[in-house]
Amino acid sequence: MAGRRVALKAIDWVSFAERIPANQRSMFNALKTRSDAISAKLTSLPPTPVVIDWSHYKTAVAKAGMVDEFEKKFKALQIPEAVDTQTSVVTAQEAESNKNALAYVEESKARIAQYEATLAKLTNMIPFDQMTVEDLNDTFPETKLDKVKYPYWPHKPIAEL
Amino acid sequence: MLSRTVLLSANALKSKGPIGAGLVQASHSLHTSSKSLAPVPPLPEKGGQVRHGIIPEELFQLLYPKTGVTGPYMLGTGLLCYLLSKEIYIINHETLSAASIGAVVIYAIKKFGPTVAAFADKLNEEKVLNAQAVKDVALVGLSQAIEEEKKEQWRAEGRSMLFDAKRNNVAMLLETNFRERIHMVTNEVKKRLDYQIAVQNLNRQMEQEHMVNWVEKSVVGSITPLQEKESIAKCISDLKALARAKASLAV
Repeated sequence: MAGRRVALKAIDWVSFAERIPANQRSMFNALKTRSDAISAKLTSLPPTPVVIDWSHYKTAVAKAGMVDEFEKKFKALQIPEAVDTQTSVVTAQEAESNKNALAYVEESKARIAQYEATLAKLTNMIPFDQMTVEDLNDTFPETKLDKVKYPYWPHKPIAEL
Repeated sequence: MLSRTVLLSANALKSKGPIGAGLVQASHSLHTSSKSLAPVPPLPEKGGQVRHGIIPEELFQLLYPKTGVTGPYMLGTGLLCYLLSKEIYIINHETLSAASIGAVVIYAIKKFGPTVAAFADKLNEEKVLNAQAVKDVALVGLSQAIEEEKKEQWRAEGRSMLFDAKRNNVAMLLETNFRERIHMVTNEVKKRLDYQIAVQNLNRQMEQEHMVNWVEKSVVGSITPLQEKESIAKCISDLKALARAKASLAV
């Protein structure tokens, strides 16, 4: 019977290892050991079975027709392949992970845009020694003294002096 | 004007930065009318120049074309004479008091002015340095944060490898299982056939042994007592002949 030749994708474990963050390293190691064990087991089994020498058995076995019957049934036998239930699960996981990753990347890009806006503001602002207090309040709104809430000097709670 | 005195006599103003290098925000509060959007000139580096502590330099520059270098001094002397002679300013005891206080004040400014100005400058400098430090830290932190975010995005791109690995594992498990099944079937069939052969061989062996035993037994049984005696006599005579031959040889 024919052996099943599955297209196994070659995985670059080195570059995979580069990409994982430190807090997931133990999970990665577990995955790697598991994968290595499975592939070792696979390579230890030969892909085709031992060939049965029918002619030798025909001459050796005295019972008439037994070997022929065996040979006929053997050749007609189809080994059922195990049903693959997990690939769809993995594909579903992958789709969800893709969705999450895209959302994360979008958020990350928004954060980067924020950072870059602040960076641009900081690099393009006038030097501090040429600023007036109004300029300072314009560039950094958090320095503006709230004269409505605290009408008396120093216009901020004493604790924040 | 007094601030000019302090600033000039101190002469301790440190240079703060290039004049005119900064571009001030358009919405500067000096421009109160909404139409003007020209950039405001930067803050002046030094205060107005003064001569003798209180008289602005601009007066001397103003009078220089007409009256030369000594012009303002002549103006001052003449003005003083006019005030005294016309008794517009009357000398009394308060004049002396003003003169004494003025002397002390001038002495104090000349002696302590520079230190006070340096102290004030230092306060300002510290404020600016603090702000600058905050800004630098912010810059570094921001660029680092951007790097980190980009790195995280790169990491996320590698997620497909995880799922490839998982699918590979699943496929390998299935393949292993399939191979085990094939091997099991083949081995079982082989075992059955080998068993048949082994059984056959065993049968033959037993038959052979049994036959040999039976033949032996029958042969032994068929030897009659007469035959036995004859064969023993023959054996003895043979042995005697052999011994004679050996003895003759030895000799």
